[in-house]
Amino acid sequence: MIAGRPALLLGIAIKHLSRRRRQTLVAVSGVAVGVGFFLAVSALMIGSQADFVARLIDAAPHIIISDELRSPAPQAGPRAFPGAAVALHGYKVRNEVRGLKGWSAILAAADAVPGAIASPSLTGAVTLRVGGREEALGIIGIDPDIETTVSTIESNLRTGRLHDLQTVQGGVVVGEELAQRLGIGMGDIVAATSSGGTRSLRIVGLFKRGQSQLGLSSGYVLLREAQSMLGRPFIINRIGVRVADPYQAQAIAARLEARFGYKAESWQERSADLLSLLLVRDVIMYTVVSAILLVASFGIYTVVSNSVADKRRDIAIMRSIGFSQSDLQLVFIAEGIILSFIGVLFGWMLGYGLMAILGTLNFPVNGDDYRIPLDRGVRQYALAASASLLAGVIAAWLPARKAARVDPVDILRGAV
Amino acid sequence: MSLLEARDVSRVLPGDPPVTLVTGANVIIEAGSFTTIVGPSGCGKSSMLYLLGLIDRPTGGTVLLDGADVGGLDGDARAQIRLERFGFVFQFHFLLPEFTALENVMLPMRRLGRLTLAAAEARARALLADAGLAGKEDKTPDRLSGGERQRVAIARALANDPVLILGDEPTGNLDSRNSVRVVDAFRALAHDQGRAVVCVTHDLSIAAAADVRISMLDGRVVGVERGASTPAVPMPG
Repeated sequence: MIAGRPALLLGIAIKHLSRRRRQTLVAVSGVAVGVGFFLAVSALMIGSQADFVARLIDAAPHIIISDELRSPAPQAGPRAFPGAAVALHGYKVRNEVRGLKGWSAILAAADAVPGAIASPSLTGAVTLRVGGREEALGIIGIDPDIETTVSTIESNLRTGRLHDLQTVQGGVVVGEELAQRLGIGMGDIVAATSSGGTRSLRIVGLFKRGQSQLGLSSGYVLLREAQSMLGRPFIINRIGVRVADPYQAQAIAARLEARFGYKAESWQERSADLLSLLLVRDVIMYTVVSAILLVASFGIYTVVSNSVADKRRDIAIMRSIGFSQSDLQLVFIAEGIILSFIGVLFGWMLGYGLMAILGTLNFPVNGDDYRIPLDRGVRQYALAASASLLAGVIAAWLPARKAARVDPVDILRGAV
Repeated sequence: MSLLEARDVSRVLPGDPPVTLVTGANVIIEAGSFTTIVGPSGCGKSSMLYLLGLIDRPTGGTVLLDGADVGGLDGDARAQIRLERFGFVFQFHFLLPEFTALENVMLPMRRLGRLTLAAAEARARALLADAGLAGKEDKTPDRLSGGERQRVAIARALANDPVLILGDEPTGNLDSRNSVRVVDAFRALAHDQGRAVVCVTHDLSIAAAADVRISMLDGRVVGVERGASTPAVPMPG
């Protein structure tokens, strides 16, 4: 329980406010509406953003190591004579076989990162043919046992399971759109033509529409099937890595790239354009909701300012009794804090209610029920309360300073 | 030694031209004496009282409390002295309207913080009872008569057991019966309890009842008369 001087000053502030019920109600309502909408809007924005980022992170491996190099290794001539002009005659270009060289060492290094799982795969292009229709397909050869732990393909399947690739000879998983374009469905057989020849593939799974992260024209086959189909036995050209903390992906990718030379792309790098958009979105959101809270603080300023103007005589009385300038300042700042505090409590309730309403809304998207993702974290409640209390203190501080500077002699001399 | 002394005190309001409220004033206030400051309107009586009560700060001269120069202290230091040692009674009761009589009297005690809440309440009740206001402790000022409000103000002035009580026209708004009660109370505070009481007044009956009468004119102290009950006080300077 508050005692002594703080209790006295708080008691005076409460008495002042209780005499100005209508203004107090308006100021409290302003703060409550500000806090309530801050919570609802930020829950909506942060929730949708978190959902979006989670999809970005989880749709594909956190790190993808491919058989590309960011910059080619320097040629032998410049390496032998750095800075010199070198003329070469009669050289022959060596055709290197694409793929990750020493991939088992890379795989072991990625697996050695605490909490990380690495999945080898081979990608290539084939053409699917069914009844005169043709579609290009980028195939990804995977090991389903590992891939299911690295990406979320499994959970995005409309029908079938990734493990069916292991049980069905020549199994392939493709997207619903592609299947529709080819006029095929589950269990149907298509002809796949690649540099290694033509063979038959059977549809064992369809992933959902709109999964742009999975690639609209991508299909999954067993790794050894892909190696055989593309004529590249024992070769892989991609390692997907899932790490324990997705936000460490960039640092881990940099380490792997520095060690092995192959391009290791983190999810942050792949989605840099989208993440920068989210940053702008954050700035806009916090600007708008801060403006709401700022407007609410004007109400507090008005109430405290009017209180100071009305209580000039009381201020002079208290000063003559022996109250200090800081006492008077604290009384009026306390008024601002009380208004903010009550406003915050009601604002929390309003925000909670608005979130509950938003949480019940249901939208059908691509045949699925879609609920608005909301962030109901305590952090937003704390942020709204802190911002409102700070705004309340600042709004009250200005008139409170004026109150502290009231010269009691001026009031006592002119009192009637 | 005098309790409070003003030596060659002046108070000039800045401006064009500057306004002189008090100039070259010398006043001595003794413990156990009832002093009045009299003079025509605008002669600087209230300004002198505010300087003696440390509500205002002199622009010249010194104000000594128990021999220490306190006139030049900053606002909060003077406020602390007022809280601990002075009590004020004004013409218009100046009670806080939202507070009951009891809460108004408790206010200085709670701010000083030397008594527990229960002890402060007990003392406030006793002071109100002494002022004849037993049973009216829970009334707000708007539910008290003018005389009752002024008695609450006196009780509040006594809350922290002050050595000096300053009154600015304390009977100016009271009828004759209540005026007499207030004057009797002031005399008792001075003579029975040994406090110093200084009152600014237009009321000749109050002036007559005082031990010392200080006359002012145009911001100057122009005369000091002493009653039989008070020993002669030499004027400094």
